[in-house]
Amino acid sequence: MTSLVGSSLENDAELQEAVFFELIDDLTLGLCFEFHRSCKTGSFFHDDVDEETMKQYEIVEKTGLDVFGQVPLKKPVECICPNCNRTLTASRFAPHLEKCMGMGRNSSRIANRRLIANSGKVDSENDDENEETDWPLNDKKNYPSKKLKKEKMVNSPRRATKSGKNKNGDTNSVHSESSVVSYKSTGYLPGHEALSMEERKQLLMSTCGVISEHTKKMCTRSHRCPQHSDEQRRSVRAYLLGGYHDAVRVRTDGNLGDNDDIHVDIDGYEDSENANSFRDVLHWEGSSANPSPADSNSTASTSSTAKRYKKSKQQRHKKSKTSTLVQYDNEI
Amino acid sequence: MADYPDRKVRDAQMRATINQKLVETGEKERLKELLRTKLIECGWRDQLKAYCKEVVRQKGLEHITVDDLVAEITPKGRALVPDSVKKELLQRIRTFLAQQSNI
Repeated sequence: MTSLVGSSLENDAELQEAVFFELIDDLTLGLCFEFHRSCKTGSFFHDDVDEETMKQYEIVEKTGLDVFGQVPLKKPVECICPNCNRTLTASRFAPHLEKCMGMGRNSSRIANRRLIANSGKVDSENDDENEETDWPLNDKKNYPSKKLKKEKMVNSPRRATKSGKNKNGDTNSVHSESSVVSYKSTGYLPGHEALSMEERKQLLMSTCGVISEHTKKMCTRSHRCPQHSDEQRRSVRAYLLGGYHDAVRVRTDGNLGDNDDIHVDIDGYEDSENANSFRDVLHWEGSSANPSPADSNSTASTSSTAKRYKKSKQQRHKKSKTSTLVQYDNEI
Repeated sequence: MADYPDRKVRDAQMRATINQKLVETGEKERLKELLRTKLIECGWRDQLKAYCKEVVRQKGLEHITVDDLVAEITPKGRALVPDSVKKELLQRIRTFLAQQSNI
């Protein structure tokens, strides 16, 4: 080795250059392959940008502007409550939802109690629960006046009058019980049954509404809630809106098929119920001038309790009984 | 050693030997990596790419071959290397050769 390298200085330099150029050529060859490949795959001219677009998308470096040259907006993000359609700042949204929908640890209890109290309060004045102390907690600021009116008109009156009847009439325990069973076995939700058509539409317009298998409650998130598919939403709508009458029939057939007069009963109740609720609304409009604080705090009854449901069920049967009597009279 | 009757043959021999040594010791890879980063830093790669684009435009994107590119670019690549990089690399090679001759 020594004999080879230890030649004249000139030769040495030549050798070094040769090695160097070999390295350069190696690198150039690599680049050639790379460029050729990108030529053939069509990505060679991708980073070619003409002057015009360069100017158009030039990065702006002025203080007070973002890289696109726009003034950054200080506007806070706003959310729309799926329950009451109010717009709120994002920071207030979670607390609002808690109150509005009755979610969260405490609020669900509060909401439940409120719902029970709401239906129970008007009919029987002897409420042993002291809701009065609860109401100031969820004061009116959480509830827009727009929503209050709607609720008063649609929700509360029906409950009020229905339960009012409850006081006067004698309850038919056999009927009410059998109907409870039927609901349980078919998985229908008392809360939804208690809603009128308008209420359902209102509810389904703003929420996902898919009925959970476990909790038997409607999903209260927005239409795009990721937990449920569009298919589920569609079927729930079909069930709650379109197939309303069908659903009722199926239910009666399935569970009370051996009892013919009850079948007739419930068919009759459809009409009478509608008529009643209409009357109730009218009645309410007259008397809604002075709402109680309890009413103003009522929430949409997405999660009504079994207790309330039972009550309303009993009333329905009473109603239907009377109505069928009338029907029979007419037929005869 | 005083006379070189068959100088060309000896040169070729020497290059082969040196190349072998460079590869065996792994110095060749190290030098290449160093050179690559240096050349990218000084913009040599971008210059070559620009030139390459010109060539491709002339010949047409569809008709370009690797041989065309190699023929066009290799002389350009040699010529475009900045002197500072060249000097540094030559220095490295010299020290390597000196080390080898000492062994």
